[in-house]
Amino acid sequence: MRVVIGEDEVLLRRGLTLVLEGAGIEVVGAAADAVGLLALTERHEPDLVITDVRMPPTHTDEGMVAALTIVRGHPQMSVVVLSQHVQRRYAIELLAEKRQGIGYLLKQRIGDVETFCDDLRRIAGGGAVIDPEVVSIMLARARLDDSVIGRLTPRQHEVLKLVAEGRSNGYIANELVITDKAVVQHTSRIYDALGLPSDDDAHRRVQAVLKYLAGTSTTA
Amino acid sequence: MPQPAGTRSGLARSLHRSLLYLAAVALGGTGLLLVVLINEQSNPPWVYLVYSTASWIWLLAGVLAWWRRPSNGIGALLVLGGLAMALGEASSSIVPAVAAVGAVFATAPLAVTVHLLHAFPAGRIRGRPSRIIVVVGYLTVLVLQFPLYAFNPAAAGLPVFVADRPDLLAAGQLVQEITGTAVMIGTAVILAGRLRRAQPYQRRVLIPLFGYGTLAVLYIPLSSSVLAPWLALDPVFLAVSQIVVVAAIPIAFALAVLRGGFARTGELEELATWLGASGDRSDLSVALASVLGDNSLELVFWVDEFGRYVDTAGGPVALPEPGAPRSWVPIDLNGQPIGAIVYDAELIADPELVSTAGRVVALGVDRERLTAALRTSELSLRRSRERLVETADRERKRIAQDLHDGIQVRLVLLAMQAQQLAIGLDPTDPTRGQAVDLRLGIDSAAAELRALVHAVMPSALVERGLASATEDLVDRVPLRTSLQISGLGSLPDPVQSTAYFVVAEAVANVVKHAAATKVAVRLTGNAGTLDLEVADDGRGGAAVEKGTGIRGLVDRVDVLGGTFELSSPPHAGTTLRVRLPTSS
Repeated sequence: MRVVIGEDEVLLRRGLTLVLEGAGIEVVGAAADAVGLLALTERHEPDLVITDVRMPPTHTDEGMVAALTIVRGHPQMSVVVLSQHVQRRYAIELLAEKRQGIGYLLKQRIGDVETFCDDLRRIAGGGAVIDPEVVSIMLARARLDDSVIGRLTPRQHEVLKLVAEGRSNGYIANELVITDKAVVQHTSRIYDALGLPSDDDAHRRVQAVLKYLAGTSTTA
Repeated sequence: MPQPAGTRSGLARSLHRSLLYLAAVALGGTGLLLVVLINEQSNPPWVYLVYSTASWIWLLAGVLAWWRRPSNGIGALLVLGGLAMALGEASSSIVPAVAAVGAVFATAPLAVTVHLLHAFPAGRIRGRPSRIIVVVGYLTVLVLQFPLYAFNPAAAGLPVFVADRPDLLAAGQLVQEITGTAVMIGTAVILAGRLRRAQPYQRRVLIPLFGYGTLAVLYIPLSSSVLAPWLALDPVFLAVSQIVVVAAIPIAFALAVLRGGFARTGELEELATWLGASGDRSDLSVALASVLGDNSLELVFWVDEFGRYVDTAGGPVALPEPGAPRSWVPIDLNGQPIGAIVYDAELIADPELVSTAGRVVALGVDRERLTAALRTSELSLRRSRERLVETADRERKRIAQDLHDGIQVRLVLLAMQAQQLAIGLDPTDPTRGQAVDLRLGIDSAAAELRALVHAVMPSALVERGLASATEDLVDRVPLRTSLQISGLGSLPDPVQSTAYFVVAEAVANVVKHAAATKVAVRLTGNAGTLDLEVADDGRGGAAVEKGTGIRGLVDRVDVLGGTFELSSPPHAGTTLRVRLPTSS
């Protein structure tokens, strides 16, 4: 997997590069601003682009704008947006562009390097990973506004949250200390309740759930 | 200004008496002359009546202008013109001595008219070129008139006749015509220059007045020497037309002076005051403007603690530079400067007159000055509070950015190191679990820091502005919420941050105190304002005095000149409405 990084803080840029290379991920370029990031992306055509939302010169949402530009220009490329503070709007904007090979995570998640590298691999493989904090926000809103999600049991909620974060059945079983079979039972009931088609493809299931949540929580 | 009976000063009464005597003597003298001339019967009586009427018009217009505007020299000039007219009338007398006086002053009214044109509106000649032209004008009609009677056979028999010399007469006429033409060209150039520098409202008065005055002066000589032979005019018609043209001159000038010099009339100003529509102009300055005949006059006040002049509203005022069309005189009280009168120097020639008016109203000015000073303090206090809010916002942004770039990055790196330490250890090693705990501890410290940074200055506000930040805020409220945003456009930073913190505090209060099941947030941008509304269905009874958070927001809204309305009847929900002006 070939990766290009966009991050203005030099220490973090180096640290991230070292961590990825330690996990066997090839970092082909690292830029300190959005313009540099777009240039490196054009030059190297990487499999995955990782970018910070806030970058020079204005330190507003340049990284986010660059990510959307890359997603539109290179549909085959996977994009991961990192942010100091996550908000629903950015996740919805990214998911509106594409639901495969997309990630939106709190920057602090890098610290758990193994999980982070796993997430990157899943995203590069066509998955979608949305930060647990954003998923919580979406679920909380859906529970308040949407009667279907409000009727789910607490356990089903826990499972739905992990599915929406893009977790595998095995991960969910491990996390909730239940059997894989119980996870499958829960998910099929949840899909029935939400009216989602049951699909053997894990990625497509996640995408369906995210689409559902993004749809119900877009009330503004 | 209407003045109550008995308030006129002794000086004014004395002036009015003098003017009455002057009018009586002048009318008596010219009336006597008229009776004498009619009795001589060398011309039909109506000729003398027409001529006398013209000179009376000059005299009456002059006395009236003098009476109403004692400080303006135009009135005296008009009286002088009337006397010159009457003297010119004497030229047709059969008494040689009387006729001689008439011959000498025959064209004098023309010079007075030139003088009037140069002296309008202040009644005083301004500038050396004007002064020279007026003097040459008088020389032309008084001295250069000499050959026209001394060498003219028609004047034979008069004591001023010298010899019958047609050659000298012709030469004299030529010299007078050339000088007269030069005077009129010079006058036209100067008047054109003044018109160019005049304000539009001044031009409305100046153009007809200057135009008529110039044409009148040209008509008298040209109608005799050019028009009459060319159009074969009847001599009687010619004479009457000349007299009518000359008689209209004083009417034009007197009207222009009495209407306050220029057509922005005192009456309109008084009407505006009476209707309470005079706005930022104080009664005192309106009164001064009316008395001094300059409606553009302004009263400004000296504020010691700021070391500058301010207007009635308390805003700073720059006094005109020396040499500008406007001028100013200071007003002192007990040796201390308390204000100044700014006036039109082209309208009021005598600064001493304005100073005198200033001394008269000094006490009143001092009283209005206190009000103006208070308004200035208020204005400067508001500016300083605005600066405080802006500085605080800038500092918040800087602190948030510093934390973002500095310690938050360090915490990510530390978490990475702790986790890599764990990865490097054998799964059975108890230190591995401790390293993972260390990473989790760092993550939770980072989460606390994120919350702190968010409270100081939310990322969404910095990155995307008010709409996005409010959306993120509402997303995190554990209640049913609705958010309506419309017409925000681009807003100034202080408005965005104030609006955000108002909504944030209001929503936090709803969650903490209102026992509500839902909350509705509405942001509506209109032309020039931003309306915020946070409404819940809780128990009500909220009050600004109860929460320090709300209290601080009221201050912030107040600084931006906004309004704050909290409606919270018991058991009927709470609605907070804030309106912020969005144009600076």
